Amino acid sequence: MSISARNISWRIGKKLIVDDVSLNVSQGQTLGLLGPNGSGKSSLLRILAGLRRPDSGSVLLDGTDIARMGKKQVARRVAFVEQHGATDANIRVGDVVKLGRTPHHSPFSSWTVADDHIVTEALERVEMADRRSQGWQSLSGGERQRVHIARALAQSPVEILLDEPTNHLDIHHQIQLMRLISTLPVTSIVALHDLNHAAMFCDSLIIMQHGRIVASGTPDEVLTESLLMDVFQVEARVGVSPFHGKKHIHFL
Amino acid sequence: MIFIYTGVLYPPCRCSAEHSGQRNTGHNLKIFHRQPVHPELKTGRIMKTLKTAVTLCALALGYATSAFATTYPLTIENCGQKMTFTHAPERAVALGQNTAEIMLLLGLEDRLAATAFWPTKVMPELEKQNAQVKLLTVEIPTLESILAVNPDFVAAQLPLLLGPDSKVAKREDFSSLGINSYLSPGVCATRKNTGDIYGSRDALWNMDLLYKEIADMAAIFSVQDRGEKLIADYKNREAALRKKFAGRAGNPSFVFWFSSASPSSDAYVGGKNSASGFIASVLGGHNAITSATEWPTVSWESIIAANPDVIVVSSLDRNRWALDKAEEKIKFLKSDPAVSQLEAVRKGHVFVMDGQAMNPTVRTLPGAEQVAEQMEKSGIK
Amino acid sequence: MSAGKLTSKLIRRTVLTLASLLLLLLMAGFAVGVGELSIPLQTTFYAIGNKLGLTAVPLNRIHETVIWDFRLSRALVAACSGAGLAVCGVVLQCLLKNALAEPYVLGVSAGASTGAVSVVVLGLGTGAVSLSAGAFTGAFAAFAFVALLTNGARGGSERTILAGVAASQLFNAITAYIISTSANAQQARDVMFWLLGSFSGVRWPEFTLVMTVVMLGLSVCLWYAKALDAFTFGEDAAASLGIPVGFIRLVLFSATALMAATIVSMAGSIGFVGLVVPHVVRYFSGPLHRPLLLASAVVGALFMMLADIVSRTAIAPQTLPVGVVTSLVGVPFFAAILYRARRKL
Repeated sequence: MSISARNISWRIGKKLIVDDVSLNVSQGQTLGLLGPNGSGKSSLLRILAGLRRPDSGSVLLDGTDIARMGKKQVARRVAFVEQHGATDANIRVGDVVKLGRTPHHSPFSSWTVADDHIVTEALERVEMADRRSQGWQSLSGGERQRVHIARALAQSPVEILLDEPTNHLDIHHQIQLMRLISTLPVTSIVALHDLNHAAMFCDSLIIMQHGRIVASGTPDEVLTESLLMDVFQVEARVGVSPFHGKKHIHFL
Repeated sequence: MIFIYTGVLYPPCRCSAEHSGQRNTGHNLKIFHRQPVHPELKTGRIMKTLKTAVTLCALALGYATSAFATTYPLTIENCGQKMTFTHAPERAVALGQNTAEIMLLLGLEDRLAATAFWPTKVMPELEKQNAQVKLLTVEIPTLESILAVNPDFVAAQLPLLLGPDSKVAKREDFSSLGINSYLSPGVCATRKNTGDIYGSRDALWNMDLLYKEIADMAAIFSVQDRGEKLIADYKNREAALRKKFAGRAGNPSFVFWFSSASPSSDAYVGGKNSASGFIASVLGGHNAITSATEWPTVSWESIIAANPDVIVVSSLDRNRWALDKAEEKIKFLKSDPAVSQLEAVRKGHVFVMDGQAMNPTVRTLPGAEQVAEQMEKSGIK
Repeated sequence: MSAGKLTSKLIRRTVLTLASLLLLLLMAGFAVGVGELSIPLQTTFYAIGNKLGLTAVPLNRIHETVIWDFRLSRALVAACSGAGLAVCGVVLQCLLKNALAEPYVLGVSAGASTGAVSVVVLGLGTGAVSLSAGAFTGAFAAFAFVALLTNGARGGSERTILAGVAASQLFNAITAYIISTSANAQQARDVMFWLLGSFSGVRWPEFTLVMTVVMLGLSVCLWYAKALDAFTFGEDAAASLGIPVGFIRLVLFSATALMAATIVSMAGSIGFVGLVVPHVVRYFSGPLHRPLLLASAVVGALFMMLADIVSRTAIAPQTLPVGVVTSLVGVPFFAAILYRARRKL
């Protein structure tokens, strides 16, 4: 098991945000995290990334409790991409991606050729290699998101956790990014809103509601009309696409 | 230096006209002049010289405690530091109005190279003398400007102007250049003894520290006669005032109003034990203000509640607030519906005084006299 | 990286370092040569030469002392203070993710005023404690108060800023209370004058102290320069990159508080440098923290030395508070930067 969670619970004040969540993701798999707003997806992702400590339960990386690992150690294998990574600084694209190498360096360790290759490769993957010297403030929302993903890739992660990464992207880049994530040899956990993309690109899905997991399994198993009505409050017909063979949802 | 010693060790008793060519031996022994002497006048001159010489003999054989001349080297203890003077300073710098006025009162304007820091205008009687002295600035001066006049002695009134926390200069700055420094005794009461570096506020201010400063200055500049005269004069004047007002009945209460930002704001008044309190006691009364702070701000309500017998309004040179002027203050007292009902105002027991007198300086006693004059005129009991 | 790129980078760094040193030397020389007391240039050279043991020319004692003990020590303290304040500004603007953050945002200046007033007016420390020591203690007390409120820098940036504002208000109120109930007019005036900011009271001992503290602080900040870069997108992003956020915040806040408290305790409250210099430098050097910290230190040092020269010569024989000069000079600079940035976007 690349990354797994056992009975994670987390509350803010009195409110229970994540309620007894357990999950397992195998190496290389892509897990989609779905659910209406406020279902606890973001908080769960942050707990899985080690950014928040759960009130009970534990997160395991290859069997080791994340709480027992050093922060840097964790950062060397787990990358996290936020929903809104903003800054006022006019930092260059290349420098942002270079930040991804931080966990692999100490304060004064030098930059190597290998580091350079990793950074370049990451930029090429998100099709931003030609924009290396461009300043952050002149990028569009979608471009910024792609740079964030390149930064995550530069971390040489074993697991990538992404919080609604396709929000600001145009359709071309949405598809391209999901394809990239699903074909990467890394374990991915992606929080998504687009149910059809989830069906197309994820190996398994987890549906959350009010902090609890209400369904988990393959897209085939999980995406049913009754679930769509119960959890998402939409009327739909679910069928198999004749074009790519995966489940496809027709919204009515 | 050597010539002074010569003057002391070789008493002029044994001098003859041949020695009349001796050089200036210092200010206080400036007797011998290098001048060609007409033969016919030689005898008369010799007699005159001998007479002076005999007097000088007596003087020179006196000790440093002599009332008429300082024997150098003179060591003074000042604020925990010992300063040794080998001769009377010739290029002194006075930092602070009070220090400067003391020196001018001692007639030392020709030994003053420069002064600085004058919150108010100089005393009218010292104006002419002060005009002879270079003014660095009425505000806080810089160290370089002080050094630019090549001083051989620096005296200061406040720790703000000289001291370890001063932004102008520290005493070591001057001592490292061989320049003696002096800090007014009133502000260097050792911190260990009092809770406050400005001297004790718990007891009523009196003129003793001022007299010490005058005496120190007189000794340093070897003008003890002038110093003693000044001190005696002040003591007499204080005694005269006390005598005149001691008999008065009632132990009148005073309020000394310095100024206010506006008629409705709280007033800055002289505190209980400040110089204002001293003036009140000299004039046979006491300060109505009970706050031990030097410059408390009080509301008019409190002043009305205190119901002072006498209100003294200060007259200030500066023009910061409209109420700085004495006339404005009197106008307010007479026109304000509540304050004008005060007995003191109705009876006309409102007197004007130089604002600088409210600071513990040489101006305090003249200020008391100013008020005394007006009190007498108004026939206050 | 190719060999060519490495060399050009090395050359660039060397040139910049040498240029900076040269500028600093020139500015220090200017500071030493300029002043109310007109001292011939030759004397200036020989005075320094004498003290360094290179020459042995007999000179006017006052001139020599003014040049070495007063002007030079003062210029060097100004340089260290400018560097220190600028570095504080850089670090605080990064950690608090706020472009308006400056060295006194955590209550340092307000605390210093309370400490100073306690010593001067209340006589705390019964004369054994100097005004500067009191100010330093007060500054650190304010910082400790902020650390307490934010649970040892555990709280986020917003919470820290609010705690800093609260601390400033609290300590300013205490100062006002002490002055209005216990001080006489002279004391109040003294403290105000002291707080306005001036390098007049510094000599060689102050230089040794501020030099040590600023060098130490700068080293700590440079050590964590890469970590500061990781804070670009916020604390979660930094944490996800393996940065121990709480620890770094505590260390860096403490380092900046130490530098700021030392500088305030010897020179009073000098504003604007810590706020503006990082922005001006960032415009040229970019947002990465290693070059930003170094350049800000140099520019801060130059700026402060220049401001001090102006403060002591502009209205001679009086001294203009340095804070006034830094604001007057700094504002047009800042406006120019804002204007150009606006046009670019």
